[in-house]
Amino acid sequence: MSGPAPAHGAATASLLLALADDDFVLGFADSEWTGIAPHLEEDVAMSSMAQDELGHASAYYGLLAKLTGRDPDEIAYDRPAAAFRHCRLVDHGRGDWARTMARRWLYDTANAVRLEALAQSTDRSLAELVVKVRREESYHLAHDEAWIERLANHPGEPRRRLIEALDLVGPDAPSVLAPLADEPALLASGVQPVGGSELQALWLERLEPVLVRTGLRLPAPAAAALDPVTARSGHGSDFEALWTEFTFVRRLDPVATW
Amino acid sequence: MLPPDRPDAGPGPRAGQGGLEPFEVFRQEREGDPMRHGGSVIAPDPTLASHYARELYARRGESLRLWVVRRADIVELDDPDLLNPPLDRSYKKPGGFVMRDKLAQARARTGQPKRVAGSGGPAKPRPDGDPT
Repeated sequence: MSGPAPAHGAATASLLLALADDDFVLGFADSEWTGIAPHLEEDVAMSSMAQDELGHASAYYGLLAKLTGRDPDEIAYDRPAAAFRHCRLVDHGRGDWARTMARRWLYDTANAVRLEALAQSTDRSLAELVVKVRREESYHLAHDEAWIERLANHPGEPRRRLIEALDLVGPDAPSVLAPLADEPALLASGVQPVGGSELQALWLERLEPVLVRTGLRLPAPAAAALDPVTARSGHGSDFEALWTEFTFVRRLDPVATW
Repeated sequence: MLPPDRPDAGPGPRAGQGGLEPFEVFRQEREGDPMRHGGSVIAPDPTLASHYARELYARRGESLRLWVVRRADIVELDDPDLLNPPLDRSYKKPGGFVMRDKLAQARARTGQPKRVAGSGGPAKPRPDGDPT
């Protein structure tokens, strides 16, 4: 397996952890809709897409485990909440359906830009994985956009709730693409071929047509969402609750054999 | 009882109740197989219907191809006068007329024994009875 030079291992690990934690946390948060989505078909679709995210996270954790010689389940389940490195956008809880769709749409559009760049990564195993992940993500994005347009084009409560959701989570959306602390090393090795600021500009271009069509606006970024450290730390109470939930069984007996 | 903001989940067309309507999903399992009816989904529009069809009928890799059709676009024929008219239509079936009884009557009239089809000669009596 031709990978980056070992010196870049730590930087690659931080990138893999960010990718994995983003999908893991979003996947868990979206899975909360199982059984209570707006209607049966959406329930199945949302649950299936949440599973897809967990699947992507599992694959990233797998690469990280190989790189660091650790167990993927330990990485996913045995860290304290504060050690998670997911971005501020997915730190927001699911809220109502509009907030979930706003969070997903902003995340999936940003993630699409990030993955497009990472498909050219010099880390072959990451690039190969990303090519597969992207094929699935394009359908997620089409699903999100269909919902954003539906909510936006329905005057009254749906549009009002969507605007409230964008006002709440929108300022944190750039955190998905905020440069990592290790970005200089990642760019130097080519593991991450395009820097965060450039990705953010590409992402805004990608959002533009939908924003224009729907007459929606994305609020100005929060300073914390642009900073390499705060974009992926200092998690809030929504995540504390989620973490308590998804580590619950594991914490009952951390050494149990499954 | 469903909460009021949840669209009716009962049977039948639901267009107008939350804007949902049924779509029929056909799936092909293997290359070369015919498209077979898989089931239906309820969706507000063809775009979301396609997503739901994918998640319900292809998420485990069990379909090569899906057709998603708005149920309202399907021409349904179920009038018995059209499909199962009361007159005898047995002559349209591949087996043709049911001839056995007519032949038996003709043989009884003429006193001729039954001939084995295609043999050209007089039929030998069959030990195991007449299967026609």
